[in-house]
Amino acid sequence: MCGICGIVSYAGLPDLALLRRMTGRLAHRGPDGNGWYRDRHVALGHTRLAIIDTAGGAQPLCNEDGSVWVTFNGEIFNYVELGEELRRRGHTFRSASDTEVIVHAWEEWAEECFSRFNGQWALALWDRRAQRLVLSRDRLGVRPLFFIRRSGSLLFASEVKAIFADPSVERAFDLTGLGQTFTYWSPVAPRTVFHGIEQLEPGHYAVLDRDGFRKAPFWRITFPERGREPVQDARQNARALRERIIEAARLRFLRSDVPVGAYLSGGLDSAVTAAVISRYTDVPLHTFSLRFSDSEFDEGQYQKQMSAMLGTQHQDIVINASDIAAVFPEVVRHAETPVLRAAPAPLFLLSKLVRQNGYKVVVTGEGADEVLAGYDLFREARVRLFWAREPGSEKRSRAAELLYPWMTRSPGRMPAFARAFFGRHLDPADPALSHRPRWDSTSVITAMLSGDMLDGIGSAAAEDVVAAMPPGSEDWDPLSRAQWLEMTTLLAGYILSSQGDRMLMANSVEGRFPFLDRDVVDFANALPARHKLFGLEEKYLLKRAFADLVPEDIIYRPKQPYRAPDAASFFAGRSPAWFGEVTSERAVAAAGVFKPSLVAGLLAKCRRTGGENMSNTDNMRVLAVVSTQLTYESFIAGGGRGMPDPPLSSPSVAVDLVTDDRSAP
Amino acid sequence: MNRDIVEQVFQEYAALREPDADPELKAVRAAILLEDVFEVTFPDAEIDPAVFADPAAVAALIACLRGTA
Repeated sequence: MCGICGIVSYAGLPDLALLRRMTGRLAHRGPDGNGWYRDRHVALGHTRLAIIDTAGGAQPLCNEDGSVWVTFNGEIFNYVELGEELRRRGHTFRSASDTEVIVHAWEEWAEECFSRFNGQWALALWDRRAQRLVLSRDRLGVRPLFFIRRSGSLLFASEVKAIFADPSVERAFDLTGLGQTFTYWSPVAPRTVFHGIEQLEPGHYAVLDRDGFRKAPFWRITFPERGREPVQDARQNARALRERIIEAARLRFLRSDVPVGAYLSGGLDSAVTAAVISRYTDVPLHTFSLRFSDSEFDEGQYQKQMSAMLGTQHQDIVINASDIAAVFPEVVRHAETPVLRAAPAPLFLLSKLVRQNGYKVVVTGEGADEVLAGYDLFREARVRLFWAREPGSEKRSRAAELLYPWMTRSPGRMPAFARAFFGRHLDPADPALSHRPRWDSTSVITAMLSGDMLDGIGSAAAEDVVAAMPPGSEDWDPLSRAQWLEMTTLLAGYILSSQGDRMLMANSVEGRFPFLDRDVVDFANALPARHKLFGLEEKYLLKRAFADLVPEDIIYRPKQPYRAPDAASFFAGRSPAWFGEVTSERAVAAAGVFKPSLVAGLLAKCRRTGGENMSNTDNMRVLAVVSTQLTYESFIAGGGRGMPDPPLSSPSVAVDLVTDDRSAP
Repeated sequence: MNRDIVEQVFQEYAALREPDADPELKAVRAAILLEDVFEVTFPDAEIDPAVFADPAAVAALIACLRGTA
């Protein structure tokens, strides 16, 4: 895992000093080394977290004749098999790294190479002969890739802060990106929350050459028509799913030249990955867990049970509300976007624990909830669809009581509220029926926006994603449509980014996700919906497939999503010093996003309650305000002048074809 | 949907844990599953613990609702 950046300029020489500043801002992503390449039209930068071929494999790296260069962040887990095939086709390798496979694969298959990669990546290829830059991002958006297009030039980087190393880049919020965040929880690619800065959509590649800029998908999230799934037998599908997950976990654990640890959350997904590694590899396993001092959020009992059963070397970190508040500004600086939950902060502290223990790679259970239908949102959608068939039925309306059994104030205990909440917008023909309650409850944040902001955001944002649903999706199972929406919005934009890559890479730790393996995802998407969500039984097939490896207590415990204290983090004790400043009336007015009077009222309410027992809506409002203000202070206020430019060590690769003029093409 | 799938779904459903103490909620939970799998809509009167206690009766009801009885 690494940081990548670059400059393409057809009008003049790319600025090497700027490239080095950009690279420096990605130092946390790759503390093991850095490098650069420049010719007359491109400059490529790289910071390295050395995991595969730690002795070789420095980047940027080229093919045999130096006509194709790459800067690469991520892993191609099937690089061994691809390398063998490419050698048979006559390619000569100088290293044992997965990076070198990319340049040869590009030579051999051009853009077709991306569909052959099984991995998690963001990369830039420079084809010197064609004077063409190619950007590519993995199927589901595990790795980030941002860019800004300007006349005759393009800047790209793993993180926006590197693009902001160029003082000529405008710093302002993108109103549509903010609007999406206050509806879907994150901007949806290609949007970001920064004006003019785009992110490459997952599963896409982009090309920039003298003919211009263009993008295309190499993979799409898709599902079969309901009833036409290739295999209907649950036993057969459970066996096949197990084989694929075992292979995906083995690849992610064994294809590393440094030790790999694993997260144990206490839930099913990480229990499965850890159990598979334990059963199917000979390597001792070190596991890491997050605990909370507040028992409402803590899953320590299940973590200990699983760790004891597997005999892992286990470590945990116990988080309290003030820990979250203390690191929150740093968390937002890494997330580079407003977040509507405090949940990324504990994950930031967990990856710090991993790094302190000498590990720089962890396998986690991320993606299982989206791919195999674990979220309560999917159960909620099924309940609402059931109810929508006879909206006047008292008996059907009781189905809402079956939701969220883990909540203190669950619908079962508050049936009248549940019926009112889940009974809104019950339109069976709505392709986004599954997501309306979440989007509706999130978008109440917009009631706090300033007048200018509200006018700018408009109402179009919420419809973008629904309008982009693929042709034929009306014939998918409703669960498949819900999964498509979840993978397109929350997975890439929040789970894998603000809770994933950014919190891991902040402490130079790479996450690997077996449930997002190419073969697992393609297989799972082709399953009958009932094999994923059987009635209201979530991740049904996963539970069947691994019933022998995971204790029943964990398999059958009610699904509990990962959560952390939200508003209480900032009000339970003494508010941190930075808090008053960034949420002051002056600061809120300067950022221009929220109405200062409404923010003051919300914060006063929190002070009265200590942030405890706040509604879900108020918790989200507080987090939206605090994180938006921090985003503004970190990246926009004062032109971003306060952003540090960390020094870089001597580069291990430094190729300048401008001064050393071998640049024949 | 062929008969094998109907039987398979009943077996799988029977093997599930039943977390609901309230008999009506138990029936609602079963109805959610069966309506989804077999693409039928049960009349309210049939969403009843007594009806769902008998797999053969449910199979007959589904066949009737699907117009295949």
